[in-house]
Amino acid sequence: MVYYVCWLFLAPIASMIPALQQSIQTFVVVYITLIIVGELSAGTVYQHFFGVANSLFVVAYLIFSLNSATVSMTYQGVVLMVDLRLFLVIAMLLGLLGLGKSMLQAINFASKKAEQTPI
Amino acid sequence: MDIPIKMIDIVTIISWIFLIIFSVSAVYSIKDLTFNFGVSQLGTTSDGKILFSLPIEIANKGYYNVGLFNVTTIVLAENSSVIAEGSTLIPTIGKGETVTVLHNMTFDVAHLLQFNQSYLFNDTQLNTVESVSMRLGGFIPVQASGNFSIPWGAPLYNFKLGEPQYTVLNFTHMQVTVPMSFDNHATVDITGEAQIRMYNSTNELVGFDRIDIEALQHSHYGGNLRLYAVTSSVTQTGWFELRLQIGLFNYGPVVIPYG
Repeated sequence: MVYYVCWLFLAPIASMIPALQQSIQTFVVVYITLIIVGELSAGTVYQHFFGVANSLFVVAYLIFSLNSATVSMTYQGVVLMVDLRLFLVIAMLLGLLGLGKSMLQAINFASKKAEQTPI
Repeated sequence: MDIPIKMIDIVTIISWIFLIIFSVSAVYSIKDLTFNFGVSQLGTTSDGKILFSLPIEIANKGYYNVGLFNVTTIVLAENSSVIAEGSTLIPTIGKGETVTVLHNMTFDVAHLLQFNQSYLFNDTQLNTVESVSMRLGGFIPVQASGNFSIPWGAPLYNFKLGEPQYTVLNFTHMQVTVPMSFDNHATVDITGEAQIRMYNSTNELVGFDRIDIEALQHSHYGGNLRLYAVTSSVTQTGWFELRLQIGLFNYGPVVIPYG
């Protein structure tokens, strides 16, 4: 839902950046796939592994897609540059927070499993 | 541990939604930032420089304030040296506000002539780098820049000194007339004076004259420099020394041999 709403705003800019649409679609597809696979493995420790993988994917995707965190494009002889460093830092912190949450969930799951296992 | 995990989950999701919506809407706001350029004005400063003023109207119809709005113009000579530079800064343009500023740039013709005196006599194009930078929502720095050319009109285009005309006034003195003409292709009026000195073959100063020059922008100037010399001092060969002292620049001395 968020993707479709945001795409309404980004559509005019996508015409200036040819790779933007494909890049965002790739991210959405992989992200949703990891969520679906995680839900399919619900009740197992693999659910949390996929959660960790999801968070790592978000962080890695941001780093590789934004390169030096400055996006440059040329339009009709004018060079437009957007500095997304602060955005990248905040997004990475949120990604790491998600990673920490997934690891806590995995630890919580493992500890509950250990409590249930009769000695 | 379930409750803290849930809390972290909720905070993360809400933060992501806010971050994405803010970033997308901030970048989208760029298209609601409009610029209108007024008619540029040219004048001269008290220290003899050309002042270029361009009124710019900026309308912020986006969702957020625009911070640190800066317009910078850099004019470059042929060898990429900086001839002139001007910068205008607006600390904040509020949401829904329209701001009009004067973008000023001073242009030192004397400094330009240090790079190449042909700028006095030849029309050309000057390379200009224009850049606009701002912070969307005080958070996302954005910069747009482009290279342009602006025409340079030579103030002394087609500068000519005609052949000296000698007229005997009486038994002792003669009049030497040197016609001078040029086309002022510059966008400013030229006012100043021309001085001419006549020397004979023994380096003796035999005559001197000065005339006021007034040439409107994009107009032709024609005038005569008249020296009164003692006939006995004038030799078959010698030279004229011409100097131009215009408010914006000085030119010369130019040595023109005769004979």
